[in-house]
Amino acid sequence: MLKVTDLEAGYGGSQVLHALSLHVGDGETVVVLGPNGHGKSTLLRAISGLIRPSAGRVEFNGVDLTRLPTEQIVGSGVVHIPQGDLPFPEMTVLENLLVGAYRPGAWSERAERIEKVFHLFPALAERKRQLARSLSGGERRMLALGRGLMSKARLLMIDEPSLGLAPLVTEQVYETIDEIKRSGLAILLVDENAEHVAGLADRMYLLEAGVLVREGAAADLLRDEALLAAYLG
Amino acid sequence: MEILDRLVQALYSGVLNGSVYGLMAIGLTLIWGSLRMLNLAHGALYIAGAYIAYGVLGGLGLPVPVTFALAVGGAALVGLFIQLILINPILEKPGRDSAALIATLAASIIVQSTILLIFGGQTKQLPPVVDGGFKVGTTLISYQGLVVIGAAVVCLLLMTIFLRASRLGLAIRAISQNMDAAKLMGIPIVPAFVVVMVISAALAGLAGVLLGSILFFTPSGGFTPMLMAMVVTIFGGLGSVGGTIWAAYIIGLMESFLAVYVGPSWALPGIFLFMIAMLVIRPNGLLGLGEVRRL
Repeated sequence: MLKVTDLEAGYGGSQVLHALSLHVGDGETVVVLGPNGHGKSTLLRAISGLIRPSAGRVEFNGVDLTRLPTEQIVGSGVVHIPQGDLPFPEMTVLENLLVGAYRPGAWSERAERIEKVFHLFPALAERKRQLARSLSGGERRMLALGRGLMSKARLLMIDEPSLGLAPLVTEQVYETIDEIKRSGLAILLVDENAEHVAGLADRMYLLEAGVLVREGAAADLLRDEALLAAYLG
Repeated sequence: MEILDRLVQALYSGVLNGSVYGLMAIGLTLIWGSLRMLNLAHGALYIAGAYIAYGVLGGLGLPVPVTFALAVGGAALVGLFIQLILINPILEKPGRDSAALIATLAASIIVQSTILLIFGGQTKQLPPVVDGGFKVGTTLISYQGLVVIGAAVVCLLLMTIFLRASRLGLAIRAISQNMDAAKLMGIPIVPAFVVVMVISAALAGLAGVLLGSILFFTPSGGFTPMLMAMVVTIFGGLGSVGGTIWAAYIIGLMESFLAVYVGPSWALPGIFLFMIAMLVIRPNGLLGLGEVRRL
């Protein structure tokens, strides 16, 4: 489904990602695990076109996305939910969700999609007329996820959804992602905490200093004790 | 009776001023909110509207309402060209803030010089859409004035609905609040900028056409309305549409009340003094509420 080959990217003169290759299959949940500042967000930003890769190739269902503008990448079904939510603060919850359905294919189905999102996140339904900036941290994260689901996503890329959340809320967020996973959507999740994603991941990659150092079935990697020591903290 | 007469006079011209300022300022604030650019060509678009109407009327002799519609379309077209030829090429370049300032200033000079070449520098005036008027006390209220007020109110309402309820309007607000997130929603940024510029130019052109039948104008006549629109935009909190509409009427009324009760020469200095005071107390503008409000 998603196939990344020898991807290189960075900011200005400094290269962050080095010849990075990974793939995500249909309906698969893949987790890229790595410490902060090792290129997890850069990876997602390079795939979604927010930064331009300097080399390599990003393919989605056989289509080359590498140098397409972000809106076309989103249009093809690769939807990126960035770190720190980036909600539209002066819009209501409902308006935020509607913007998520901006692409023509999604816009015509926006009413049903909103129903689905509200079903998944009842808290958002209660606050639909509230401005996004008045939401709590957990609700904002839910809104960001819901907004991502409004577009006709076929692959959801989620950037560290637990960042800055209280433990209880964190648990809810991962439960929701599990529910999204069970609906059959492919997920590429980047995270720094192995414990959070243990029950979620089908396959995992370990990212260190912009290089993927290990790959394997989640169950195998999680059995590796040296690794757990490094990533469970 | 004289007290009442002065009050009617101040209210009528205040609402009239406010309507025109609103039309002008909403375009400036839209561009500021989404492109983060101060459009110094806004006054030129205003005066382009008035001159296109003047030219069409003299050259083709079409009915006044058709002429006005053509003039608004013409101003929108000038805005489209400015965006495509001068602004789009510098959007992704480093130092685009000052580049955009210079580019819009250049656009303004080009438009004004073109007008000067075609029409010369003499003052012109447009005929009113409707003749006549009526008196309230000693104040003459012209039907044309009411047309201006009505058109402005309708346009400002339509803009508000457009930004709140339409797909494109939501996209424009999204861009103004968080550009990266807007990109990730699949919104094409540059085409949205073009739409913003065309709408903004059309509104400036409409203001020019409407006011052209009340005031005399010359090729550089867009400067003062643009200056007032900037005051209104800053007063309303840069980039806030709701704040801008309120600010337009408050500034318009303040100007006319100062003119009627203190003296005409006090109107502008009074407004600028007030603005300085307000910027000290509420640096983010009228509706800033302690933070910058966006579209």
